[in-house]
Amino acid sequence: MSYNWNWGIFGSPVPTGDTTYLGWMLSGLQTTILLSLSAWVIALALGSLMGVLRTVPHKGLSGIAAAYVEVFRNIPLLVQLFIWYFVLPEVLPFGLGERFKQDLSPLAQQFLSAMVCLGFFTSARVCEQVRSGINSLPRGQKNAGLALGFTLPQTYRHVLLPMAFRLVIPPLTSEFLNIFKNSAVCSTIGLLELAAQGRQLVDYTAQPYESFIAVTLLYLLINVVVMLLMRVIENRSRVPGYIGGK
Amino acid sequence: MNYEFDWSSIPGSLPFLWEGMKISLEITAIAVVVGIVWGTLLAMMRLSPVKPLSWFAAGYVNLFRAIPLVMVLLWFFLIVPQVLRGAFNLDPNTDVRLTSAMIGFALFESAYYSEIIRAGIQSVPKGQVAAASALGMSYAQAMRLVVLPQAFRNMVPLLLTQAIVLFQDTSLVYVSALADFFGAAYKVGDRDGRLVELLLFAGAVYFVLCFSLSQVVRRLQKRMATV
Amino acid sequence: MITIDKVSKHYGSFQVLTDCTTQVKKGEVVVVCGPSGSGKSTLIKCVNGLEPFQAGAITVDGISVGDPKTNLSKLRSRVGMVFQHFELFPHMSITDNLSIAQVKVLGRSKDEARDKGLKLLDRVGLKAHADKFPGQLSGGQQQRVAIARALAMDPICMLFDEPTSALDPEMINEVLDVMVELAQEGMTMMCVTHEMGFARKVANRVIFMDQGRIVEDDAKDAFFGAPRSERARQFLAKILQH
Ligand SMILES: Nc1ncnc2c1ncn2[C@@H]1O[C@H](COP(=O)(O)OP(=O)(O)OP(=O)(O)O)[C@@H](O)[C@H]1O
Ligand SMILES: [Mg+2]
Repeated sequence: MSYNWNWGIFGSPVPTGDTTYLGWMLSGLQTTILLSLSAWVIALALGSLMGVLRTVPHKGLSGIAAAYVEVFRNIPLLVQLFIWYFVLPEVLPFGLGERFKQDLSPLAQQFLSAMVCLGFFTSARVCEQVRSGINSLPRGQKNAGLALGFTLPQTYRHVLLPMAFRLVIPPLTSEFLNIFKNSAVCSTIGLLELAAQGRQLVDYTAQPYESFIAVTLLYLLINVVVMLLMRVIENRSRVPGYIGGK
Repeated sequence: MNYEFDWSSIPGSLPFLWEGMKISLEITAIAVVVGIVWGTLLAMMRLSPVKPLSWFAAGYVNLFRAIPLVMVLLWFFLIVPQVLRGAFNLDPNTDVRLTSAMIGFALFESAYYSEIIRAGIQSVPKGQVAAASALGMSYAQAMRLVVLPQAFRNMVPLLLTQAIVLFQDTSLVYVSALADFFGAAYKVGDRDGRLVELLLFAGAVYFVLCFSLSQVVRRLQKRMATV
Repeated sequence: MITIDKVSKHYGSFQVLTDCTTQVKKGEVVVVCGPSGSGKSTLIKCVNGLEPFQAGAITVDGISVGDPKTNLSKLRSRVGMVFQHFELFPHMSITDNLSIAQVKVLGRSKDEARDKGLKLLDRVGLKAHADKFPGQLSGGQQQRVAIARALAMDPICMLFDEPTSALDPEMINEVLDVMVELAQEGMTMMCVTHEMGFARKVANRVIFMDQGRIVEDDAKDAFFGAPRSERARQFLAKILQH
């Protein structure tokens, strides 16, 4: 094989000259992280809300939450992304779609669509985890909260959710990791996140191996960092004397 | 809402879309079969007492599960074909890119299947292996005749659920220009300037298929729980 | 204090309670017993509205539990309840378990709630454990904390649902002692329990339930002296064998 390895490529300037290929790579990494974190905030908030709704003693509310989960779980992420990005701006009422297309830069349009898409997609999974966390608590806990005079929302807030969240930290960790991996799908609408930058490097330089290896390593790095972070959270939220605790 | 929907380009393109759907289903079928076979081997390696085997399996599974599918597909679409060409002196006219992307997809999904199967094997009580050994079976025999049949019985719903996920994942072969169902829908929409309708149509088709199958799985799960 | 009038309840076609009528006067201690599945837990949960019922009426301190206009949370905050499985909140220290409802429901200040909690903890003999978590206590200790938690709300009456049946035998008495003391101080109590020693010592009346009906509702001595129904006699005989 006559491939010329050249790791120095990352130091050379890009055609426009305003940064190096390393700069491209890092800006891709930054977009990936920013996108994933902001989508995670949406996913946690919406997913928790839906997860709670799925467990409340009200047929209508829990039915809505169940339908929500089915919709976001049974359509491929890529299709959802294209719908958010290509379809929604066309059909939004009150001229909102027009404003989205005219007032926002292409980058902002891509980023917003990607963020909302990943957030909703992941929220359906978070919802299922939160629900199973709440359901795995002893039934008496809810009664104990109510018997003390807590309202139902107070019972969720002070009694059920604090324990449920602790129980589901491990599955939430894997959803958190998934959101970083899934963010790579957003390269398909032109968002220059990590995977897209890697691909761009392949097009611009004759060094595809270096580029792909670097991108892959960066994803591995993200994985390791997230896992360590979640382990710290898990340890800090550990309940003394509880099964698996101490 | 001032968008005027026009669904007229769908009926005429149904044959083309069906061709795409056949490719999606084909990829799904291949990946499920490869995934279960290779995933089972990986799971057994992972659980085997031979350290290098178990390290290899652990490394493989963790690596594939840490990388986005899009990246894996790009690797196998852009990089691996070149390597193969270099290594085997292939005729430059044979296009191995699609086959390669296909293989990459199957290898990726195997990592996920392997984790399901490993959990399934581990859910079979340890005493079963002991009992099989006591009857004079070798480790391989114990696995094949005693452990795996029980493990797979318990795993059927999970394996099917993973197949649904995998079917959805096939839409990502879009990045490697394979003309699957989604790729076909996109092409038609792009051609006729009716992307909105075609994307919604594609979403609806995926939803109906995946939702129905997931209901079947749910019913199966209920039946198994009562047996 | 508590009146239960012709209460019936069903899950779908399954009748759990049929025409249950009884009352608990202020300062009275009433023990409810009966075979498993006879509806004891369901009845006692109806009293503070944890279980809805379809027919009849229940009032606590003159307030109707079944009335949709009743503020159930407020009513429940005045009725203490102790559960079979303690149901302390595992993620909070013992002190927080005792004070959270005082603060969030009754609006007491944190310091006031803490002091009150510590006083009650002392009373059940567990002051030294104030900063531990529920998972670090034995079952008997947890149940005593649970009683203290209910008392911290200054309840007008107390409901107990088999408070000792999840406990190892050597821990049963430490919990019963607290309950006896409470009864002797004049607390109004409705207790589902199979501890007949406790019933003999402090109960005013004993209710025997079978298949969702109140089969016997007698003064303690009458019940233990000569139960009227065959079912109750068999039940007593079985329990006393242990
Ligand atoms: N949510 C429910 N749905 C249907 N049936 C129920 C439900 N909860 C309780 N039951 C039934 O109601 C009956 C009475 O239950 P309950 O818990 O009140 O009995 P119990 O007398 O407290 O028994 P134990 O001594 O076992 O605690 C039981 O037969 C039980 O199976
Ligand atoms: Mg009971």
